Amino acid sequence: MSDFDAVVIGAGNAGLTAATTLQRAGLRTLLVERHSIPGGCATSFRRGRYEFEVALHQLSGIGSEGQEFSLRGLFEKLGVIDRLDFVQEHDLYRAVVPGEYDVTLPADWAAAVDVLSDAFPGNRERVERFFQLVKDTTIWQMAAMRGLPPEQVDPTYFRQGLRPLSEVLDDHFDDPRLKSVLATYWTYAGQPPSRLAFQDLALMLFAYLEFKPWHIRGGSQAMSSAFLDSFLAAGGEVRFNTAVEAILTERGRAVGVRLDDGQEVSARDVISNASLPLTYAMLGDAVPTTVRNDLATRRIGVSGFVLHMGLDATPAELGFTTSTTFVNADLDEDRLHASWHTLEPARGICVSSYDVAPIGFAPSGATHVSLMTLQYADAWDKVSPGEYARAKFAYAETLLDRVEVITPGIRDAIEEVDVATPMTMSRYLGHPGGAIYGYDQDRTENWLFRNSERETHVPGLHLAGSWVATGGFQPTLESGHRVARRLLRHQAA
Amino acid sequence: MTHRLAPLFEGYTDIQADIDGRPADTADHTAQTSRTVASYHPRRLALTVSGIITETVSSATFRLRRPDGADLPPFLAGQYVGVFADGTNRPYALSSGPASLDHWDLTVRRVPGGRISNHLIDTLAVGGTLTTTGPMGTFHHNPLFHGDDLVFLAGGSGVVPAMSMIRDILDNGLDRRFHLIYGSRTPDDVIFHEELDAIAADHPNIRVDHVMTEPGNGWAGPTGLLSSTLIKTLAGPLDRRMVYVCGPQALYPYALRQLEELGHPRRRIRFEANGAPADPTRQAHWPADADPGAEVTVTAGGTSFRTPRGRPLLDALEDQGIRPEAACRSGECGLCRVRVLKGTVHNAEEARLRLSDERFGYTHSCVAYPVTDLDLDL
Ligand SMILES: Cc1cc2nc3c(=O)[nH]c(=O)nc-3n(C[C@H](O)[C@H](O)[C@H](O)COP(=O)(O)OP(=O)(O)OC[C@H]3O[C@@H](n4cnc5c(N)ncnc54)[C@H](O)[C@@H]3O)c2cc1C
Ligand code: FES
Repeated sequence: MSDFDAVVIGAGNAGLTAATTLQRAGLRTLLVERHSIPGGCATSFRRGRYEFEVALHQLSGIGSEGQEFSLRGLFEKLGVIDRLDFVQEHDLYRAVVPGEYDVTLPADWAAAVDVLSDAFPGNRERVERFFQLVKDTTIWQMAAMRGLPPEQVDPTYFRQGLRPLSEVLDDHFDDPRLKSVLATYWTYAGQPPSRLAFQDLALMLFAYLEFKPWHIRGGSQAMSSAFLDSFLAAGGEVRFNTAVEAILTERGRAVGVRLDDGQEVSARDVISNASLPLTYAMLGDAVPTTVRNDLATRRIGVSGFVLHMGLDATPAELGFTTSTTFVNADLDEDRLHASWHTLEPARGICVSSYDVAPIGFAPSGATHVSLMTLQYADAWDKVSPGEYARAKFAYAETLLDRVEVITPGIRDAIEEVDVATPMTMSRYLGHPGGAIYGYDQDRTENWLFRNSERETHVPGLHLAGSWVATGGFQPTLESGHRVARRLLRHQAA
Repeated sequence: MTHRLAPLFEGYTDIQADIDGRPADTADHTAQTSRTVASYHPRRLALTVSGIITETVSSATFRLRRPDGADLPPFLAGQYVGVFADGTNRPYALSSGPASLDHWDLTVRRVPGGRISNHLIDTLAVGGTLTTTGPMGTFHHNPLFHGDDLVFLAGGSGVVPAMSMIRDILDNGLDRRFHLIYGSRTPDDVIFHEELDAIAADHPNIRVDHVMTEPGNGWAGPTGLLSSTLIKTLAGPLDRRMVYVCGPQALYPYALRQLEELGHPRRRIRFEANGAPADPTRQAHWPADADPGAEVTVTAGGTSFRTPRGRPLLDALEDQGIRPEAACRSGECGLCRVRVLKGTVHNAEEARLRLSDERFGYTHSCVAYPVTDLDLDL
């Protein structure tokens, strides 16, 4: 008999929901995490009087009680809903391009139409038509993913779903500023409108407009700890500060893992939340050629550069009225995307102010703010270790320059600031390139072209998380649960 | 791999052609990732002691190199490494500058009755091996908000991170003013005495003032504690200068009072982490009826043992041969985090717990004291 029914490698979002789902269904599950704390990206850390949220900018999909298809339902099923306090954001975002626009989009379909037609007169009907397409595309996409026969799917979906976002925007609008405001969330996927499938942006807009953006009191770490708590309460076992070094196979089937202390653990199934390249490398020679060829056509995705800041001033004093602000240099998204491979001054930042709707991380009278731009690790691979600190602070200054546009004098309020680079992400996640959304999520990474989550080509091995599903909180939380349920169904059959 | 619905989509052919036409990515991503982690943030390093310098009667500098001579990971002047010895570990600041990564220097001062400081000075020999963590900690100059005009109040071995900061300024030709006010007991106790004086004499942007509490006859300089009056006399108005403080535990509350008297804002003062509190019972929230000498039973890692309430949990666990990860031993880094399943701990003020930790029962064992019998999950 195996030591465990299942071993889960990595306690990121997907590892946590997978492990919790399995253990609560009665499978004896071991969760192994190389870091000292659960969460992967979904964590926080302390500096001085502050706690800093690492990754959660806006949690999508929570919705209100009773709303169907929400993440709330998943949290209920996994026994964590009572352990968490959610804080709602009332705006989607404020989008700023100096000299071009400064628009705050409310988290409500109708109110968003009003704001956009005020800011860009003459576009009311076009915006309404665009939002309708966003809704339809999302609903048909969900139906198609769930296996609805193609002849029952609205053909519009097949026409529009995979087109580049930029083309769909061009169909609807003439004003480049309006297109830019509506495309703002593209950075959450890491691919510019010219390379992002329309259905990916549609899904994001839908998830935030329909289910609202949320924060969690105590940050994403509170959520990660709640999952772990539920997993342990159900009888699960966890090992921290322990990496899985190898996945053991017998006649091509995964049968367990070897830990970095040399211990071997046998299990009927192995679920990996580690990166795809690492997971398959841990199989040694047992990697099927199909997989090898598939991985060779996928591109390691984007990482991030973040300033975590504690500011000795209130959000109002700093001029923050909304939690999430995007500040871009201009309307050229391709140029912004290209700049992520370089250390040229940051051209676009996402500013999160965690005390407009407080999550409890700053003392009273103070504010926790993070500034983030996406960046590829190759920009940093070229910097020598001896030059690293200087390059890091110099680049950080350029994010501060950018935020000064909306909060002049913000530098004077700094009480704590810590900087994370793609190297930092690599260290904490163990992912190639410090990738935070897995592979580059251009149109080739769509579920229509990649199916590593459903078919790993190694019996007994299952994959969950940003490397097989879409990156981001909601998709990875759902991925872990989905993979676990599939495994359970398979075992029952 | 392609889904059966894919061909129904507009754009399908182009996307499939893109995938098929891509040059294969054949890089060894696992090896690359481990290389990145190893060159910036290794978990452990086994280093060779290549030289030992006696600094004073009670302190010595150990020069460490990689056995293969390669460069060590980069660090920020002021950071520390965890040093493993005798079944435990201790944080030690690097005294060398970050410009030369072919070696790191650790400067260790004997703590009377101290376990590891004496062990290192008494047993480490040239050619020996020392295991450390990578560089850690947040007590370093941060150019984003510290400014270019700095004051450092040091006591005893607290000068070590200051030495590294000064070397950084000199070696890298930084445009930064640095004023070290360094308190020692006697002139013989001053670590880096001659070197500091020589640097100050040659570099107008570096100023060093020694202050003695037991000056003896030959000392003509300032004496006494690092009082507000003395700070004001030596440093002049502090304005918005960043003030760093590092030294014996007693220096911290004292220095804070002095700086507050001078009207210096709290956020322009930075204290280095400084170990578990010498006497946790002096913190206001220590339970009144809990005798620190009395023993309680702790159950963890499959064993149960007795330990006095006044001993930090981390030390108590190490006494049993149980060794959680740990680095700062000051409540700051969070590596020693454990979960309290049953019972109550005293979380020292030093503990930088996360908001969610309280809710789910986590504690930083290096600064947590067992007030009652405990069940722990490691
Ligand atoms: C700074 C930042 C900002 C972000 N902003 C947002 C945002 O606003 N909205 C959003 O939706 N998403 C955001 N993301 C992305 C999102 O956080 C991630 O896509 C998501 O959390 C990934 O979850 P995952 O399940 O794939 O696991 P990961 O978080 O990738 O975790 C993988 C885990 O596996 C562990 N592991 C790896 N190898 C091993 C091994 N061999 N043995 C044991 N353990 C191993 C790692 O230590 C890690 O804990 C952000 C990410 C970052 C870093
Ligand atoms: S060892 Fe750093 S917090 Fe305990």
